Amino acid sequence: MPKVFYTQPDGSERVVEAAAGDSVMQTAVRNGVAGIVGQCGGVLSCATCHVFLAEENAGDFPPVGEDEDEMLDCAATEREDNSRLSCQLVLDDGREVHVTVPEAQL
Amino acid sequence: MTETTSVGTEFPFGPVSPDDAVEHMKRLLADRPMTKVTMPHGGDLWVVHRNRAAKEVLADPRFVREPFRTGERVVPFPVPFPDFLRTTLQFEDPPQHTKLRKLVQKAISPRRVREMRSSAVAFANELIDRMLARDGVHNLVAEYAVPLPIEMLSSLLGVPSSDREKFERWSSSSMSVAGASDSSAADMAELAAYMTDLIAKRREEPRDDLLSSLAHAREKDETLTDAEILPIAFILIVGGFDNTANFITTAVRSLLRSDEQRALFLTDPDGLAPTAAEEVLRHGGFETGNPVGAGGGLVPFVAKEDVLVDGQLIAAGEAVAIDPVSTNHDPATFEEPGRFDITRKDNPHLMLSHGLHHCLGAPLARMELQVGMSEIFKRIPGLRLAGEAEARSDVLTQPMTGLPVTW
Repeated sequence: MPKVFYTQPDGSERVVEAAAGDSVMQTAVRNGVAGIVGQCGGVLSCATCHVFLAEENAGDFPPVGEDEDEMLDCAATEREDNSRLSCQLVLDDGREVHVTVPEAQL
Repeated sequence: MTETTSVGTEFPFGPVSPDDAVEHMKRLLADRPMTKVTMPHGGDLWVVHRNRAAKEVLADPRFVREPFRTGERVVPFPVPFPDFLRTTLQFEDPPQHTKLRKLVQKAISPRRVREMRSSAVAFANELIDRMLARDGVHNLVAEYAVPLPIEMLSSLLGVPSSDREKFERWSSSSMSVAGASDSSAADMAELAAYMTDLIAKRREEPRDDLLSSLAHAREKDETLTDAEILPIAFILIVGGFDNTANFITTAVRSLLRSDEQRALFLTDPDGLAPTAAEEVLRHGGFETGNPVGAGGGLVPFVAKEDVLVDGQLIAAGEAVAIDPVSTNHDPATFEEPGRFDITRKDNPHLMLSHGLHHCLGAPLARMELQVGMSEIFKRIPGLRLAGEAEARSDVLTQPMTGLPVTW
């Protein structure tokens, strides 16, 4: 079972057991993790599931796609090198992923 | 509060006090995720009550709008569904929807809207200056809640200032219940003609506005046609004027009716505006003192194939819609759903919907609502109600047309 570690801007951390095949966004929304809105449901049209992906997980997912790249420019919090839209981070079985939630999504 | 309470699990239920409505929904939600109802128009419809089930439906591409768009099927709705609304972007499905929405999304993204915030603050303060120039009773709707979103959306779209008054009328007409009145049909024809003309002007002489960029957007060497741009412009006008004005009015009205939450808000209007705005969207309607009923819903979808949602089969060809009132008061999602709490942190309400059809202008609506509520209470902390609100019942969204206030 994959696990996601969500760190809030205040440093507090929450660990959620996820289902393989779900995204980091879906896992957050289904478990009420604060700070990840995911308003468009994962179709790359809202930029409200922005996260900073831990360096150790950088190679665990396909690189930023063209549509994701455009939407990251639209996010409320300034993007950084490790910025991802968490709807694009689909979890494999057994994966442990660490992400940090930005200050604002809206 | 009413003396006698009949808290059942039936749906729809008639208007009851807000407290009774919260209790009623609690039992309903415990009983089942959705109810099949026969709408006065367009036949049967699953109305989804539970918040999680609603999000599942809204994020599932097996629910589409095509049969409504083509006219193959009548939209199940409490009133005859206005024809005009079927011509908006809301009724497109992927891939056409994706293509069109993508073009406009960036113009109203969280980032772009942050940049527009200072002009919203400046315009709100201009409106407040005008109100303060005269003592006595003022109509908050006409003097503040309506002009602010009209100004913001007109600037975004590129509608000249001199034409903005017309939009107030057009925006109400677009929501006309029955849609049968001659004047509203004429208004819609006027709006379509006006927008077509404006698009033509922007094709010739582009400016720095959304219509210009749509008129010059290219998808695989094909410029968007007017028939593709109009549904985008229409949905922005429908949602961007009338609905946002209603949200701002509801925000001010609900705070004016809750001494406790208003006192709290006044301690830090800018800091509290983000959570307060979400709480107004979720629950503000319950705080205005009006009885609450249920039975309405967001625009329906049709299932392309059999889909199981929260244990309930929605069969291929059946229609389904979300009920924002009960999904926003689901005790499984919201702690104390009946409590108006402007500091509520986890607030995944569905007032602006979810999924690929979620409110296109959501970031803009949120920003205007936040600015609208914080600026007026910062400048006029002694604001108070000076009479009853007036609403139009012949318009789908039943917008408030008058809210007498003074200080």
